[in-house]
Amino acid sequence: MARFQLDIWGEMCPIPLLKAQKKLKGMNIGDILVLETEHSCTSRAIVVWAKDRAYEITEQEVANGIWHLELTKTHD
Amino acid sequence: MAKISSVFWRGPWPYWVGAIVLAVLNILVLIVRQQPWGVSSNLEAWSEWMGGKIGLISTRNISGLMLLQSSGTYLNLGVILGAFWSTLAASQARFRPIRHRKFVVSALAGGVLMGYGARIAYGCNIGGLLNGIASSSLTGWIFAAAVIIGAWIGSKLLVKYLL
Amino acid sequence: MSQRKLNIGFTLFMLLLFILVAQLSPKSALILGLGTGLGFVMQKSRFCFTSAVRDPLLVGMTHLTQALILLIALSIAGFTLIVWVGEARGISYSLNVFPLGVHTLVGGVLFGIGMVLAGGCASGVLMRIGEGFGMQMLALGGLLIGALLGKLTVAHWRFVFGEWPGIFLPDKLGWFGTLILEFGALFGLWMLARWWQRKQVGE
Repeated sequence: MARFQLDIWGEMCPIPLLKAQKKLKGMNIGDILVLETEHSCTSRAIVVWAKDRAYEITEQEVANGIWHLELTKTHD
Repeated sequence: MAKISSVFWRGPWPYWVGAIVLAVLNILVLIVRQQPWGVSSNLEAWSEWMGGKIGLISTRNISGLMLLQSSGTYLNLGVILGAFWSTLAASQARFRPIRHRKFVVSALAGGVLMGYGARIAYGCNIGGLLNGIASSSLTGWIFAAAVIIGAWIGSKLLVKYLL
Repeated sequence: MSQRKLNIGFTLFMLLLFILVAQLSPKSALILGLGTGLGFVMQKSRFCFTSAVRDPLLVGMTHLTQALILLIALSIAGFTLIVWVGEARGISYSLNVFPLGVHTLVGGVLFGIGMVLAGGCASGVLMRIGEGFGMQMLALGGLLIGALLGKLTVAHWRFVFGEWPGIFLPDKLGWFGTLILEFGALFGLWMLARWWQRKQVGE
């Protein structure tokens, strides 16, 4: 049940999603990936992508126009 | 009701809702303007005007007044203001500066390639692809195929240099 | 930390701008209103033409591609209807039937590369400027430079490779044939996108 931070701050679409995909491959089931972005489309794309693959994901707007994402790797 | 209103102002709307509303607006633009929505030909007129102002080229007949009367100017201005308004209404407005040097290069290079490509092909994604196809023009379909090939090449470059 | 006060102020500003433009020309004001609507909806639905053509291959997602196909299909239907009604009433529309040449292909490929690197196509760049992205403000500068270069050299392309007049499909196939062909092609693409999406998720 480890928590991984991934720095995607200021990265352009779709680099955050590509980085997250890569990072997830090296994670164990039950691990949580924490992401933070100020890019509305990026946040949306990651949520849609995660839901497609039935990963658990929560999206929270922590400040004006900044989104905090927590993705749980529920399966391989 | 409160939930609907919250989703309306804060978003995000589902993609298909966006597609339907954009289609309605796109059709309304055709009715009012008697010409489809386009972005890049107006940008070209502005760049020609600016180029003339700073003495890079000799402009033939583009004046500032013409630009202020051109419907394309109001469409482009509207898109910027509308997006800002939408962001502000959701309390998501903030200045998002460039945080990595690589994006300075990619934004400039990408912008120049895009501007050049759009003008030699007479259209961008809106005027060339969407409304080229919507106008039942063969050119629109061919342009769309070329854009897909270009986006694929661009993706390779992105993975190689920007990731 | 709500931006409500700013929003009220900006809404008033938009209203004033609209009234001002309406004084100069009611048609321009209407167009400004529609442009505002387009920007608003694009931002709210996170609609991105770049993502629609880039993401199927790059990240294996076709939701936006399918939405774009829907947008194109609805636009074809709408445009056809408008042109029909216009013909009956004697109103003519100048549709985007552009000449075809080698530069259509070259331009499309360059445009495709550029939009992926700049993080948005022409409309996406404008929308993201509204969202406050410094990167796309710079990209707009590049776009203006590129457009000027394109303007200055397009005659050269025409001269070297030639150019054919644009083909308006209904002139060749009739309206019925055109609609069948276009909707058929879009339906095929839509099925392809759906299949690709399922294949990606299934893996």
